Amino acid sequence: MSEVAFLIGLGAASAAALLGAALPARLRVLCAGLLSSAACVCVLLAAGRVLVSGHAWNAHSSEVLPLTGVSLSLDPLSAVFVATAAAVGLAASCYTIGYSAHSTPSRAATALFPVFLASLFLVPAGASVATFMVAWELMALTSLLLLLSEHRRRKESQEAAQWYASMTHVGAAAILLGLLLLATHANGQTFVAMAAHRSRLPIVLRSVIFLLTLVGFASKAGAVPLHVWLPRAHPEAPSPVSALMSGAMVNLGIYGIIRVGEDLLGGGVLWWWLLVVAIGVISAFFGALHAAASTDLKRLLAYSTVDNMGLVLIGVGAAGSLAVGGERLLAALALLASLFHLVNHALFKGSLFLSAGAVQQATGTRDLDQLGGLARRLPLTAALFGLGALSVSALPGLNGFASEWLLLEALLHGFADHAGATVVSLLVGVAALAITGGLTAAAFVKALGVGFLGQPRTPGATSAREVAPSMLAGMGLLAAVCIVLGVAPGVLLPALRRATASGLAVGAPSPLRPGLGLDLASLNGAIEPALVVAGLLGALVLTWTLIRLLARRDELHQARSAEAWGCGRELQTARMEVTATSFAEPLRRVFVDVLRPDHDIEVTHVAESRFFPQAIRYQHRIDDGLERVLYRPVISAISAWGRLARRVPNGSVHRYLAFGLVALVIILVVLA
Amino acid sequence: MRAGRELDLLQLTAGLVLACSVVTLWRRDLRALVAVLALQGGALGTLAALLAVQHGDLGLGIVAGVVFVAKGFVIPSLLARVVRRDPGSRETAPLVNVPASLVGAGALVIVSYLSAGRLTSLFPSPATRLAPLGLATVLVGFFLLVSRRKAVSQIVGLLLVDNGIALVAFLLTAGVPLLVELGASLDVLLIVVVLQVLATSMRSRFGHVDLDQLRELHD
Repeated sequence: MSEVAFLIGLGAASAAALLGAALPARLRVLCAGLLSSAACVCVLLAAGRVLVSGHAWNAHSSEVLPLTGVSLSLDPLSAVFVATAAAVGLAASCYTIGYSAHSTPSRAATALFPVFLASLFLVPAGASVATFMVAWELMALTSLLLLLSEHRRRKESQEAAQWYASMTHVGAAAILLGLLLLATHANGQTFVAMAAHRSRLPIVLRSVIFLLTLVGFASKAGAVPLHVWLPRAHPEAPSPVSALMSGAMVNLGIYGIIRVGEDLLGGGVLWWWLLVVAIGVISAFFGALHAAASTDLKRLLAYSTVDNMGLVLIGVGAAGSLAVGGERLLAALALLASLFHLVNHALFKGSLFLSAGAVQQATGTRDLDQLGGLARRLPLTAALFGLGALSVSALPGLNGFASEWLLLEALLHGFADHAGATVVSLLVGVAALAITGGLTAAAFVKALGVGFLGQPRTPGATSAREVAPSMLAGMGLLAAVCIVLGVAPGVLLPALRRATASGLAVGAPSPLRPGLGLDLASLNGAIEPALVVAGLLGALVLTWTLIRLLARRDELHQARSAEAWGCGRELQTARMEVTATSFAEPLRRVFVDVLRPDHDIEVTHVAESRFFPQAIRYQHRIDDGLERVLYRPVISAISAWGRLARRVPNGSVHRYLAFGLVALVIILVVLA
Repeated sequence: MRAGRELDLLQLTAGLVLACSVVTLWRRDLRALVAVLALQGGALGTLAALLAVQHGDLGLGIVAGVVFVAKGFVIPSLLARVVRRDPGSRETAPLVNVPASLVGAGALVIVSYLSAGRLTSLFPSPATRLAPLGLATVLVGFFLLVSRRKAVSQIVGLLLVDNGIALVAFLLTAGVPLLVELGASLDVLLIVVVLQVLATSMRSRFGHVDLDQLRELHD
């Protein structure tokens, strides 16, 4: 039943691609959008059935791919990732209908979107090395082309695409190498055969395989220091694609780490998972800090993705190290928490990227310093963005809070009866969770306050109009799920528990008691978000009523009304408002050693005197410090090598012929 | 006795093929180059005919005839027409001068003798022991391609490579199938015609046929 729905979904995506390529302009956007949504619904049903029943299915066809055939399998672990991708995909497909009506995208872009969606479903469902890698490369290529789809309008997307292409290819090569190494030693390329053989491999070989695949998967998940492509590619892609990349594609990096590390290699040794925790901690801190310092709305969201993937990696690493230490219950809790956070991140980040796209479409810019006052002009978009911002800042009543609370509980309980490296890593994880919580809140207060409140700073922001209903529907869908999972996180937990059980090599007991809230059964700790929300709402209503009742009528009427954020001043212009840059200034000063901002002041003097400046130009930029330290030397070495190599072919036919002769003689001498 | 004389003749013709290719490095006059090429083609055809008689193989005999006519007469006469367009043209300044070229040719012959051991041990017989000569012809032809400037010298170098390959094929396998040899000969003929047209148009366009000037086409 589930496999039929899955295949129907893939078929619908293919039909969407074909129609997107064939139909005329207006019609193709509508048809491709509707068919993609239908595909997502089918796949969501398929994955949901696996998650509810807990029964995995396998399918094999030897006709589709020559030599190896295609093997698909959906177990609860894969189903979580498929379902997440389908949920974000549904919202994004719906959103494309309105988004593309503004400026019709090319046939290629319309047709590639459903293919990208299908590849996001196929990667977690792939059950053999060949199937997995084909789907993985399909995902990389389609997302690369979609990223380039607006290259005529924006030159930056070309540079972003170069970074993305090189990083994703290096990553894919590392994964392929690792999986082939595993397949050769396990005498079979299906995941089942490899998992059956895992205990017979020497630990050194398993470690090499784990490290190789970790490089590829961590780069896809945007983990520092392999994250450099992410803050470029996610902002430059068209917004529905950004939402899919940030909400669904980066998750598959996490999927790969869990699948290979736990399922195919059987959990391995402690240092693997400590390494994962370390990467997670660095990513979380680095991402949150850059998000707090960014002034570009989508770049801020992209860095926040790096941050959240870091948190998920901390959870995965903690689960792995606790499992190695024999703490099955805590390991299950940590993995469950990180999967939950991953799902939540997909939901709120998808919604945020879609809202950012709406802002960009309505105002023509995504620079926070040029926005402002959008809450009055785009009320629904602003409300939906606000919900997403509250959720990513992990405020109670929304889903981000539920999963971060669980993650924190898992890490804190892990201290109790452990010693040594695991405890230190958990402790550092808790610290990272705490500091990123604060930085993320700062980043989103900035985005919401500077972007949506106050007065508009540019004509573009002044003349903004609310976006199309289909776009609002896409964002609203994700925001609604965020609220449901925030108030009643218990509804998703049984499904995640099944996924955890199929993800952990050592098996997993149930760490949570069933119910709407979060209740750690044998560990002490419980929270009922529904009650928290009810209490907060009650307090709000009570305060409002009390003010109304207690204040005298004339006092209320005497109150002067002034502009919001105006500090009571009567005359308030946009130039007097706090900008995103100035809001982030204190943080930038505190973390100057990490952020390394570039300042550039240019003073032009009046011709007659050097004492009277005519114009002062101030430029301020924050580059990625790690990129400068780690990547620039590599890039300059490669281009130096390239310049050297260019001297070899000088255009002389004789020289080229001499290469042939020398090669021939060398081969003859070597073979003799 | 009779077998011994056949072997002598075989060695003589194979040696002649290699000697001709070394002579191409020595002579600068393009007419002489074409004449030497014709001689080499004839020697190759004769060698094939000798092998055909030795094995009593009619197909090989026909191949020998085709090779004799194509490499001994048709292709050299086509080349002679190119040379006749500008009489007195010489390879005035080769990239590697003549004495050095001859030393290089000696080195290439040594390399081919050293490296052909594995090739001859596949099917040891008096004929296969001559295979290094064919290999050396290939290498010398390649060396001619690398070291000479004129378009005609280049064509001759290419044909030397082809003759060398044919020689190795004859010696190792006692002849290739008729169809393959016909196809190969036609290919070579086609290449010569194309190069002839190219050389002619180069001369009319640039006033010379010095390949080194093509470097200017490089970005």
